[in-house]
Amino acid sequence: MGTITFEGVSKIYGGQREVRALDDISLTIGEGEFVALLGPSGCGKSTLLNVLAGFEKVTKGELLFDGTTISKPGPDRGVVFQEAALFPWLTVWQNVIFGPQVQGMARPEYEPRARQLLDLVGLTSFADALPVQLSGGMRQRVGIARVLVMNPRALLMDEPFGALDAQTRLSMQQLLLDVWQKLNTTVLFVTHDIDEAILLSDRICVMSARPGRIIKTIPIELARPRSIASLTSPEFIAYKAEIMADIRITDHH
Amino acid sequence: MSSSSERVSSDTDGKRDTVSSWTGASLAARRGLRTAALAVVLPLAVIIIWQYAGRGGSLFGGVLPTPDRVWEAWRIWAFGPTGLGLNPYSGTWLANLLFSAERVGKGFLCAIVVGVPVGIAIGWNRISAGTLDPTIQLLRPIPITAWLPFSIAVFGIQDIGAIFLISLGAFFPIVLNTAQGARDVERNLIRASLMMGAGRWTVLRRVVLPASLPSIFTGLRIGLGIGWTAVIVAEMVAVKSGLGYVLWDAYYVGRMDVVIADMATIGLLGLLSDMIIMQIERWVLNWRRLQSYQS
Repeated sequence: MGTITFEGVSKIYGGQREVRALDDISLTIGEGEFVALLGPSGCGKSTLLNVLAGFEKVTKGELLFDGTTISKPGPDRGVVFQEAALFPWLTVWQNVIFGPQVQGMARPEYEPRARQLLDLVGLTSFADALPVQLSGGMRQRVGIARVLVMNPRALLMDEPFGALDAQTRLSMQQLLLDVWQKLNTTVLFVTHDIDEAILLSDRICVMSARPGRIIKTIPIELARPRSIASLTSPEFIAYKAEIMADIRITDHH
Repeated sequence: MSSSSERVSSDTDGKRDTVSSWTGASLAARRGLRTAALAVVLPLAVIIIWQYAGRGGSLFGGVLPTPDRVWEAWRIWAFGPTGLGLNPYSGTWLANLLFSAERVGKGFLCAIVVGVPVGIAIGWNRISAGTLDPTIQLLRPIPITAWLPFSIAVFGIQDIGAIFLISLGAFFPIVLNTAQGARDVERNLIRASLMMGAGRWTVLRRVVLPASLPSIFTGLRIGLGIGWTAVIVAEMVAVKSGLGYVLWDAYYVGRMDVVIADMATIGLLGLLSDMIIMQIERWVLNWRRLQSYQS
């Protein structure tokens, strides 16, 4: 469960000048796989995530999730936004249980799991705090917990750590590795950070801008479980060199 | 007062020991006291000058009574014996005040009940915006005074006419600000709620409405101010009680002292009702005021 299939997907934004945000994307992400989508800003990687989330419709092609065409957003695909997008008027706890609540689940069904996830992201003592009272990293951890509580088959993450400072980003990456290694959900992770992509993913899809295309797919065969200590291993450096070379080539086009 | 309040403001430049010995609460109390002191300076000055300029009890050749006479008229209006006597205003202050306040309250409530949902609908949905917004924009420039003949013709000299005018006046700012708030809801909040399985109605109730509340409160404050304007206008013409009625009536019989006492009453009531709304806003929008633990 959690298989994502893009078959010749294009997304064109109309307007005075047409923008080909996605051009003939074909990509399959297997169950439990962690795929990073790497590319410069404006290359369409967020658009790819948005159509997958069901926030936007594809212009052409087929987009399947576990064999079903995606038509709208839903709790089976949990999205983690760049700026967390928490409800500022709800406490941390209320944010985390928002999903189960609006889906009409009974309290005993979700409460233990929500508590467990809040604990997993280390925010139990902040359950009653409001989002404005939290740091960026803490907000993002709430954003992850509120999605995981719904037990999604896929996790779609749109540069979730992009707005964090370097140190917080490292600890969030470690947290995500720990969480994912426990849950084994399918993850599509959008980023422009090469280190982050290598550290986290099983496979990196490098995208180019206008038209948005996947120009290269690089399997990352670093041993699991990984941790941020992997960032300095020779294999890691080798992958980084390879990807940087690829990006430089596309720059000259 | 001035020397101690000087010290409060100087905590940034080296007098930390003096300041830190005060608790936050007493600091806040001092700040509040200073704000209040500053606020009364101007009205006090005006009253004093007015009093001294009008020696002999009045200004402008007997037209404008001095503050002491206004105060005396106010006192009798508020606390004098009711019923018989030569002064028909004696003891009727509270009753008239309550007449006006009740009309404003009812009209304002109607305006909220209609205005907020209509505003949300306009801000949230393109079809309702297309249907409702042009009509509202067409009606909005018609001043409340222009509705008076219509209101009297339709409702007669009755409470409902005044309430109609008040709700109409308060309705427009409430609707426009609510619509603006609903339009400006952060897109990712809506996407997040849809992603978590919320239906349209849930999104409206649990995301769009709370996210619009800051704008809604702006609309409420403006609307309430217009409500007070409307009630005075309506009472001057379309009903036979309330502060607006007394205002016009006192003018006709040459009781300028009552006129000014009445005006001051209206001002104070408007101020009080605005303060009540702001306090409610502070409670409801608590989430916007709290400071970060981090900073």
